[in-house]
Amino acid sequence: MLIKYWPKETKIPFMRYRYVGVVLSLIMMVGSIYLVMTRGLNLGVDFAGGSVIELRQTDTVTVANVRSQIPGGLTVNSATDANGAELVVIRFGEVDASLLGPEFAALTEEEKADRASAASNTFVVNTIKQEFNLQDEDILRNDSVGPKVSGELFREGLIALGVATLMMFLYIAFRYSWAYAVGGIAALIHDAIGTIGLFSLLQIQFDLTTIAALLTIIGYSVNDSVVVFDRIREIRRKYKQMPATEVIDIATNQTLSRTFLTGGTTIIAVLAIVIFGGPVLQGMSVAMIWGIVIGTYSSIYFAAAIVLMLGVDINRKPVEDTPGFEAMP
Amino acid sequence: MLQFPAWKVLLVLAVLIWGVVMALPNAVNMSNAPGFLPKQSVNLGLDLRGGVYLEMEIPATEVISSRLEVFARDVRSAFARTSDRDPIFFQPELRGRTMLIKLSRPDENGNFPVEEALRRLDRINSPIEGGLGGGKTFEISRAGPDSILVGVSSASEAAMLQDALNKTMTIVRRRVDPDGVAEISLTPSGNNRIVLEAPGEPDPQRLKDLLSRDGRMTFNLVETSPAEIASAQAGIVKPGFRLLEGPETGPLLVREIPEVVGSDIATASQGNDEANRPQINFRLNANGARKFYETTRNNSGKLFAIVLDDVIMSAPRINEPIPGGNVRITGTFTMEEAQDLAAIIAAGEMPAKVQFLDQRVVSSTLGEDSIESGFRAAIVGLSLVAVFMILAYGLQGMFAVISLVANVILIFASLSLLGATLTLPGIAGIILTIGMAVDANVLVFERVREEQNNGRSLWTAVQAGYERALITILDANITTLFAAVILYSMGSGPVKGFAVTLALGIVTSVFTAFVFTRMLTVFWMKTFKPKRLAV
Repeated sequence: MLIKYWPKETKIPFMRYRYVGVVLSLIMMVGSIYLVMTRGLNLGVDFAGGSVIELRQTDTVTVANVRSQIPGGLTVNSATDANGAELVVIRFGEVDASLLGPEFAALTEEEKADRASAASNTFVVNTIKQEFNLQDEDILRNDSVGPKVSGELFREGLIALGVATLMMFLYIAFRYSWAYAVGGIAALIHDAIGTIGLFSLLQIQFDLTTIAALLTIIGYSVNDSVVVFDRIREIRRKYKQMPATEVIDIATNQTLSRTFLTGGTTIIAVLAIVIFGGPVLQGMSVAMIWGIVIGTYSSIYFAAAIVLMLGVDINRKPVEDTPGFEAMP
Repeated sequence: MLQFPAWKVLLVLAVLIWGVVMALPNAVNMSNAPGFLPKQSVNLGLDLRGGVYLEMEIPATEVISSRLEVFARDVRSAFARTSDRDPIFFQPELRGRTMLIKLSRPDENGNFPVEEALRRLDRINSPIEGGLGGGKTFEISRAGPDSILVGVSSASEAAMLQDALNKTMTIVRRRVDPDGVAEISLTPSGNNRIVLEAPGEPDPQRLKDLLSRDGRMTFNLVETSPAEIASAQAGIVKPGFRLLEGPETGPLLVREIPEVVGSDIATASQGNDEANRPQINFRLNANGARKFYETTRNNSGKLFAIVLDDVIMSAPRINEPIPGGNVRITGTFTMEEAQDLAAIIAAGEMPAKVQFLDQRVVSSTLGEDSIESGFRAAIVGLSLVAVFMILAYGLQGMFAVISLVANVILIFASLSLLGATLTLPGIAGIILTIGMAVDANVLVFERVREEQNNGRSLWTAVQAGYERALITILDANITTLFAAVILYSMGSGPVKGFAVTLALGIVTSVFTAFVFTRMLTVFWMKTFKPKRLAV
């Protein structure tokens, strides 16, 4: 079928432009870090703590009415769910302590810090129910995360990313060599930073599902790098005298059709989630598409380029055995 | 690689048929099917069916200090038994996780008998409950010339927390589900946390109110003299008495030491009084009934206060001795309040007041919307990938798509088998798997294409394609599996669901894409004897 129109043999000299690639990658990574530091991340309740309440929009329950009738300095926005229904989304951390009643005022400072978030949630929910005459089932979503848990979740998320990275490093080092492991992990970090940068740029909500997306991207990134690595190793075994640059170029070209096809089917599938999956999954899936795009790019221009700099040989041999091997740039 | 003896074919078919049978209840209503077929569909997470998720914590400091308080009482009574000439007088002073005991009277030489006190404290220091190796509950050491510090070792703290966790779990269960009929899941998390998941539409506030009560129930005799109440309100409380409030009784002076306590109560339930107003009925156990009878016999004419968490619920006058131990509380309760109070009284006292850390409530309408949109995204994703694969690889792409469908069926079958929970991110995991599962096929097809281009014949090209792609497929999938496993071990609720479907999808996709597609290809090659694979 259509695949036969794909050229039988591509000969793109990827490695000739490797410095351009590395520089582009560095710019993107530095830019991402700069964005996160200046613009920050739009942390969701999972990590920032506080509450999110979602109501179905009606004639009386509107963004303007909630804003004007419910005290406490709430952030009120509208949103659309997967089926096109209008929602009113209310976000807040802690409302002013004076609204929380005498029982709260009687607590010690430490207890107040622990309970302010939960007490604020109770206050806002009760006020909304009263003002708009709503029942429990009219409150579509009510998430409230205390400061203790949000801090832990953030820490756990970072630990998970760290452990995943370490395991991938060890696996590649075991299957290939340290040079490959460094290349694969550099690509993985590149993709993770790039994705976090996108979250900062577009101010997409950063929450637990984002960590899930990041871990998936990490998995995909390494998956992609490993396919190229495998081919590098195979060609290296076959043509011992071939210069390393050429080995990597051939390996990349030979796996190019696979890279595009798998990337294509994965993006198509995730695109279906973006369009039809509803608001909960949207941020996560946008991140995954971006991650797959830069993951595909980085497996060539970051992973392979670094392997080229550190040495393609799996079994360390003296340099004179591999005359075609380029000196370290 | 390309040999499929009969047993292999049967095995592959058996796996697929098993998958279809296990996955069937998710697609069709199986209630009328024959008995040997499974009827259970996949568990849906709270984000898909709607419900309340509550995470609560038992404060460790409170657990320890309440145990120290009990120990202080033991110490007092142990020392009180000794004779008047005993030189050891002391005052315990609670300081959160430790207790300081100060000896207040030196002997004739001006020394405090710390050694003697340590010996006596050691005698009443019990071994750690359920602990091995004979560690003691409290760490008791000299803190100064006249003082002793009582602390808790980490092993003992762990045992105390475990005990508090077990007790709290039981009490939480009895309070939220007194009849044992609701589909409520309680899971311990860490050493002092409990996660409560209640599907449906329960009122989260009612749940929290129900669980934040201590549930300390006592029956205390009341001092009714107006002068003493007035002086207590002015701040001078008669020794041995406490001033308590009640919404219906007003302030009353009650005896500090109760006559009957919560552990004397056998059962409690909501009932109705003569005017059909909700009331709380309860029955005392034999010990409680005897104490109740004696108190009512000896204190005719006095008020008897029923106190819950230091609030007087009612204080009826004792007219005659009451035998049998059947007691009721009347008042202006709503039906719901009476039910909740009965559940709290019957469940007993919490070891420590729980703190709510984290709450997630999803209405069932939102859950239904999520199922619908997730399902739609999955269908669209699967169709698009199918079209893409068939366009790219023709008949071989078709085989890959058949495998893909088999893969989705196997994911659902494994979810049923493991009793795992499907969440909205879990559906996203399935869709993602659909996109990534074809990777194995693509790797093989591209390999076959290369080999054919290098001039190999059909069978050797296919053979080489599968052989060479295998290592790559394994390497590539194992790394993604790592990510999924880590995600599972850290994740909570919905994210865990994503990790589960992702991990299952990786395992099943290697089977369907690598084994099942290969079998289809080999059958096709045997039957139609093509010259080359149109890839």
